[in-house]
Amino acid sequence: MKKAAVLLLSVLLAAGVARAQVALDCHFAPGWEPSGPVRQYTAENLYDYKDGGADGYLIYGFAHMSTIDCKSNADTLTIDVSVMNDADAAYGLFTANRDPKMPIAKIGMGGQIQSQSAIFAKGKYYVEIVENADNPEADHTTVLKACVAMMQQRLQGRETAPEALKWFSHDNLDTVKLIPESVLGLKLLKRGYVAKYKQGQAFVVLEASPESAAEVFKKLREHFDGASPAQIADEAFQAKAPYLDGICVFRKGRFLAGYANLPDAPQACAMAANLAVRIP
Amino acid sequence: MSSHPSRREFLSTSLSAGLALPVLGATSAMALETHSGPQSAKPAAPVKLDYRTLGRTGLKVTTVGMGCMITSDPSVITRAADLGINYFDTARGYSHGNNERMVGSALGARRKQVIISTKSHAPNKEELQKHLETSLRELNTDYIDIWYLHARNSPDEVPDDQIEVQLKAKKEGKVRFIGVSTHGGQQQLLPWMVKKGVFDVVLAAYNFTMDTSMDQAVEAAAKSGMGVVAMKVMAGGSHRLKPGDPNLKRLTQEGAMLAALKWVIKKPGISTTIPSITDMDQLDENLTAMSNPLTASDEKILTAHLDAIRPLYCRMCSKCDGACQKGLPVADVLRFLTYADGYGQFALGRERFLELSAQHQTIRCGDCSACTVNCPHGVHVSDRMARAQELFA
Repeated sequence: MKKAAVLLLSVLLAAGVARAQVALDCHFAPGWEPSGPVRQYTAENLYDYKDGGADGYLIYGFAHMSTIDCKSNADTLTIDVSVMNDADAAYGLFTANRDPKMPIAKIGMGGQIQSQSAIFAKGKYYVEIVENADNPEADHTTVLKACVAMMQQRLQGRETAPEALKWFSHDNLDTVKLIPESVLGLKLLKRGYVAKYKQGQAFVVLEASPESAAEVFKKLREHFDGASPAQIADEAFQAKAPYLDGICVFRKGRFLAGYANLPDAPQACAMAANLAVRIP
Repeated sequence: MSSHPSRREFLSTSLSAGLALPVLGATSAMALETHSGPQSAKPAAPVKLDYRTLGRTGLKVTTVGMGCMITSDPSVITRAADLGINYFDTARGYSHGNNERMVGSALGARRKQVIISTKSHAPNKEELQKHLETSLRELNTDYIDIWYLHARNSPDEVPDDQIEVQLKAKKEGKVRFIGVSTHGGQQQLLPWMVKKGVFDVVLAAYNFTMDTSMDQAVEAAAKSGMGVVAMKVMAGGSHRLKPGDPNLKRLTQEGAMLAALKWVIKKPGISTTIPSITDMDQLDENLTAMSNPLTASDEKILTAHLDAIRPLYCRMCSKCDGACQKGLPVADVLRFLTYADGYGQFALGRERFLELSAQHQTIRCGDCSACTVNCPHGVHVSDRMARAQELFA
């Protein structure tokens, strides 16, 4: 009986992994061929491939990576497809790796193609394509576009960015990132989106329930000496703090959100009130 | 008595003998007044800073540095610098360069008070040169204190033309010191670097789970005058483990992470460490490693953790190569099993198992009256092989 249960579990796991694995080849343009077998990485051995950079994948919720090297004459190109735990994690990894000076292109949920590399997220997949050129100034945009087109067609999943991104004001917006742990550097704020502006930053953290959000809010308020109440959404406080300057935090249902790094707390609360209106 | 005692024996020995204080560079201490948290105005708690000399660079570095790869907010880096940590590590490849930008922006006004190291994984000298210019721009500085060739695990991966680029950059004042970062084949690479004689620093993976031959490689490198910086000091930390893994609980509770950090700091050949610091809480915890040396309780935690992983996890030391009387590639099969048992990747484990020769696939460890493989790290090889055969064959 126990053996049968183990076998069933193994079959289910195998089915899940098989679904997650991606068919990888080099047929994105004529003349390109694989220069080796498809390699597979898990959390256990990702360090062997990405060195310390592996941590950057693991904290976002990494499940598995397939990678292939392609060759055409002297040019080589590497395609890495990471399967993340969910689409938000894939988009989060994209936001961590995107070039903030470049716009986000409509590739899957979002992507960027540069002269020697391309990245995009679609569904729970995060894709990186890197041209390993001898000449670092060479422009390989054409072949990268072809490769992106092939991969985008093969990968199934969500093509819209996370809803939370719409809640942030776009005035003077610099970047929006998913922070997988410790938003604002505070362990209490586990995982959420942070929008950086020319001045200050806004954040939105989703808790499991209004009750757990209220519990975190209470602890957060205790964390800030001299915090005073504010009138936003379900509950709010404002404070002036080292490293975070003027900060205002509110709770709306399951969400904890607010503004930080503004010159003073009332200004942070004024911005936070606008954010609260946009959060459902 | 074996010339390579087990880690457990080593831990016990070092505990009972009371290992001497660091011999490299005078250890000095400085107490700072700091807040108990970033947003608190509560009474300050003292933070003691320990410094060592980073080999021939002469730089005085805090024994706890900061790996910035997964730091969640630049304010954590800024605060670390304000509290006195003076060694900060990043890399060109981290987050496609975004990490260098964050480190540069966080340390901005404090640049002259801190030591910044970055690394390049460039595959050739042209790209290496380009990486240097990009790193300088993103870090918003006109010099890098220590510039590493990133993740080189054998002498073949450290080509002369890339060393020439490093030396030229040093001559031009764009970098102050050069080195190599490595976390594989270190027992071979470190002696090679010593012999090569051009490197100022090595950034090596080093932690309590490693074979004692790594201790010897580190000591020899340090004695030659090369500065040794330790990374992966938490032995992979908890990010590699999935929820439900019993080791996750062990690593995230009972002060195991801090004990692992203190274990590395206690090693005399290590000048500084670069644990990844995500948030203010981790920063505060890691700072205490400088004022609270490794204790008997810490040793027990680490020993227990080693005991927990010993029967299951292969350290890839290759000492079992050729030991199986039937020729099984033991380390490979252990790795396949880890895919399935440790990380739920059954299909991947089975796929790899089925790539073994037909002869190896049909071997059943239960058919042998005694196992000829004796893992020096305590992995229960015959049990693990039998499990792999039951699961995959």
